Amino acid sequence: MNWTAIICILISYLPCHTFSLEHDGSAIIHLQHALTGGPDPQFKDRGKITVNSLRIGQAIVDQKPLAEADRKLIQKLARENDLYRIQATVIANDGSKKTFLSSVKACMLAEAELDDRLSLSFDYLGHIIGVSLVIASKSSCEGSDVPLEKLKEFTTNVYVRHTDTATIPDTASYIEKIERERDAKEKGDVKDNKSFLAKYWMYILPVVILMVISSATNPEAQGGGQ
Amino acid sequence: MANFRSIYKIQVFLTILIHLTVALYEDQVGKFDWKRSFVGKVKFVSFEAKRIIVATEENVLATLNLNNGDIQWRQILEDPSNYQLELLHVNKDILTVSGVRNNWLVRTWNINTGTLLAEWVINAERTVPSAFTIINGKILHLVPITGSHLEITTYSFIDHENGVLKGVTRIVSAPWLTNISNCVFAGLHYVCVGSNQLHFINLDQENSKFITKPLDTFIESEAGKIILIEYKHKTPSFLMLSNNIAKLASIVDENIVIKPFDLMPNAVNVVGNGKDLIYQLEANDNKEKLIRIKVKDFQTGADEFSVDLDYPLGLGAPIILGAQNRGSSSDLLLSTTDNALLLVRLPEAKILWSREEALSNIVATEFFELPISELDASIEHEFDNENDIFGMFSHRISTQINQFYNLVFGNKLLQNSGLVRDEFGLHKIIVVATRAGKLFALDTLSGSIAWSYRLPNIQPFLGLNGQEQMLLYVQRTAQFAPLPAHCILLAQDTITGNGILFEFDPITGYSDKGIQKLPYRISQATLLLQHDKNFLKPLLVLSQDNELYAYPRDAVSVIKDHFSTIFLYTANSETAILTGFTLKYSTENQMVVKKSWDIDLKPSKIVALGVKPQNEQVHSQGKVLYDRSVYYKYVNPNLLAVATISPDPMHHNVLSIYLIDGVTGLVVYGTSHKRAKGPVHLVHSENWLVYSYFNERFRRTELAALELYEGHLQSNSTAFSSFAVSQLPHIQSQSYILPLVPLKMAVTLTERGITNKFLLVAMSSGAVLEIPWLLLQPRFENMPCGPEESCIPYMPEIPMHPEAIINYNQTLGRIRGIEVAPARLESTSHILVHGLDIFYTRVAPSKTFDVLKEDFDHKLIVLVLSALIIATFVTKKLAARKALKQAWK
Repeated sequence: MNWTAIICILISYLPCHTFSLEHDGSAIIHLQHALTGGPDPQFKDRGKITVNSLRIGQAIVDQKPLAEADRKLIQKLARENDLYRIQATVIANDGSKKTFLSSVKACMLAEAELDDRLSLSFDYLGHIIGVSLVIASKSSCEGSDVPLEKLKEFTTNVYVRHTDTATIPDTASYIEKIERERDAKEKGDVKDNKSFLAKYWMYILPVVILMVISSATNPEAQGGGQ
Repeated sequence: MANFRSIYKIQVFLTILIHLTVALYEDQVGKFDWKRSFVGKVKFVSFEAKRIIVATEENVLATLNLNNGDIQWRQILEDPSNYQLELLHVNKDILTVSGVRNNWLVRTWNINTGTLLAEWVINAERTVPSAFTIINGKILHLVPITGSHLEITTYSFIDHENGVLKGVTRIVSAPWLTNISNCVFAGLHYVCVGSNQLHFINLDQENSKFITKPLDTFIESEAGKIILIEYKHKTPSFLMLSNNIAKLASIVDENIVIKPFDLMPNAVNVVGNGKDLIYQLEANDNKEKLIRIKVKDFQTGADEFSVDLDYPLGLGAPIILGAQNRGSSSDLLLSTTDNALLLVRLPEAKILWSREEALSNIVATEFFELPISELDASIEHEFDNENDIFGMFSHRISTQINQFYNLVFGNKLLQNSGLVRDEFGLHKIIVVATRAGKLFALDTLSGSIAWSYRLPNIQPFLGLNGQEQMLLYVQRTAQFAPLPAHCILLAQDTITGNGILFEFDPITGYSDKGIQKLPYRISQATLLLQHDKNFLKPLLVLSQDNELYAYPRDAVSVIKDHFSTIFLYTANSETAILTGFTLKYSTENQMVVKKSWDIDLKPSKIVALGVKPQNEQVHSQGKVLYDRSVYYKYVNPNLLAVATISPDPMHHNVLSIYLIDGVTGLVVYGTSHKRAKGPVHLVHSENWLVYSYFNERFRRTELAALELYEGHLQSNSTAFSSFAVSQLPHIQSQSYILPLVPLKMAVTLTERGITNKFLLVAMSSGAVLEIPWLLLQPRFENMPCGPEESCIPYMPEIPMHPEAIINYNQTLGRIRGIEVAPARLESTSHILVHGLDIFYTRVAPSKTFDVLKEDFDHKLIVLVLSALIIATFVTKKLAARKALKQAWK
């Protein structure tokens, strides 16, 4: 019996976003996967995931290492560029049951050495809306041959994902900003209460200098002309 | 001083905004926009001298000019899905009764101006279908109580309290009464048909009772079911229809007198020149003139005269709505099954005008580029037979001579047909499918109808929130000359509900296969990007039993290599389940769809779904930040936006928005608004989503913008794969107050996506506002925002400038959709706003940076340049002469 407990800490993308969950709850997810491939696959048990608290997002993953035959089947799926499908039956704490299907490319799963991520999406009340299997990868593949020793055991990360509370029009800070600007303007006006010359000396000075120079040079030019 | 400063501030602010918006100059009005107004399918009609008063199923009251059919005035009443006009009565003023179930509005209108004169309310107790009539200036409301009696309530306009009319009800025993549709008004009488019996009552008399007459005394017993039809005449008369033959019956002294002659069910009565005549339409054997108007004498039924009508092809079967005699001539107003309205003037049987009222309800739109001219096409054929050098040479010479000829004498071809592509792609054909099942092609330059095609017995699909739509797909554009453009319309059969497929050439309206009835119900359809040897893009149609069909049928061989990359999804609004399908397990012989993911949004209800425009181009992959670093956009072409509303005991309604990858079913992002309700309008484009909703807490409409970024590193710059998720996108969001009630939202679309984006919001007031995306784009926290970063500081309320209204003072009635298409000119988008009116215009969100201004003075610049050149030479000469003279000094 191999117990793996992985605690996933949610990374909130922006500090201003807060996740909302009215009531905390728990969920038990029975995972089944299809290793046979083809249009009508046969699902068999893969493991169980228990989320004790949706608010904390803590998940306990209970999955057995893969049997030799199953590993071969996954290798075959990857080689044939088939889909690896999981069927997740989620039992919420009110006893309601929902089943979700999700698919990934088998070759990507094999290339990631069975390191997969399970995204559990909840609505604002904590009802599950979707279970998706995701492989963290930068590119997709078109079939690959992965040696059997790399396909030992699923190392599943579970992400419990809530809905954000949406932003509302930020009128308060806008009014504050307008008031601040107005105050700054008024303060600025007090400072600027200087005489005309004190304010605009930098424009007047060059003009004066120019006039002086031109009046100094003009008589000479006239004299030269004569 | 403070006042002045605030004005100055507003001025600066306005200048910034006017730079962003493109207002119209007065002389530009109508230069590239046009508007067509409609009234809808006519329900009631009344002739008044030089005008026709119509009340329509769109809950519109209007008057039309008798001579040209133009709308003189139009009053748009309440939403037709809730209110319907039930009575139109014209005396000195117009009186209408409109409403639903047990709430009725009685209004009087001025005949000349259409202004509302008075309004009263009738609150009835019963909610069964009922009938209204006017007798002696009083409104009579007749409510049938099945199997028991008829309630007749009389309302007089004097007796009201705060505008609520009070009625006096009397009960008339009628145990045989089943349905009001078995009854008609005949003058002051009300006539009903029961099982083998005819009942009538004089409504004018107090305490009158139903008088019953057995049917078999005047009609043969084997006649079958009898339907009564109203017939307006000074003696109380009605038509009795059985086996498609109508008999005219009159009530004379409490007896029913049947005229001995047969009539058509659409017969009307016209009195004039001392004659009492019956007009009716009959089918004609003459293939050129399909309709014959027959006129009979009211008393004897003898044929007075008949005239063949030159009935336009393509119109549905007509019925007579009304008629009037004007001395020597009479006018007939006809309505067709495809909602067209025709005025026929007798005795010459000339169609004075026709109105295509089907256009008042458009359910699908597509813009089409026009084909190149024959001359341009012939240039492209130069290398068709490459071995024959002499042939190629002569071909080139002849086309060049033609080109030269056109240059000198103008292009005759362009003048003849008109439907030829122009340089900037500004001239297009808009194909619209209407609810009445008629296709129209509209010319963008003039708004005229290029062709129309009537498809009998088809109806639109019912989408989310009861929105009706048909699907139009462009399989081949006009680029592939000499192959014509090819388009597919998908709709529903009215009788079986199965799919209807109609293939046609959108430029000419020609269809070689006609209507194809599909043996299944359509659940989803998608157009693929690969094209076959005839340059047709295959259309995949998913049936409700998850069977997949490809059109054209041999297209499977083209897509067989791409099965593993084709995915479909369906959204079921009843179960709130989204399902994804893969085509991976298909073979060339058999296409199979297999479920690959599902999302279960229960107990919420899906209210809106937003997909990106398929032909959208994203020009810029990232946003440059203030520190010159690039923040890459998350541009996932497979992303769906889903809006759901869930009733909540604490927050009334909660609106949730989910972004879902359509290939893997991964919920990329979810957000929720408490105490928010619909209607929700979604606009999904590039890496952002904008949606509007009603905030119940503050009682205002709000607009929220979401923007998705990958971050400072781009995960895969060459090809996007939904399966390869290296990191989830970062979401920026911001929300705004929208000081208006939006009816529809759309976003501009340009050829390459370089031009800025404008959001187009259709308001309930009938205006369409453009809002720059820059104004909505979420601002980054802790980052400077100013002109250098091309960022407008955050304002919580979206400003509404009159300059930003693209339809300026042309109010549009009951807007149902905004359609956008790119022009070949990068700066410009075509916009079609449709509803009760159709409005077309072009918008240039970044101004027309790629064309010279209209008022650019070519002559002046040539003049100035040539003058400068001449001056250069003259001064050169003069200078040389002066130098020579100086040398001799």
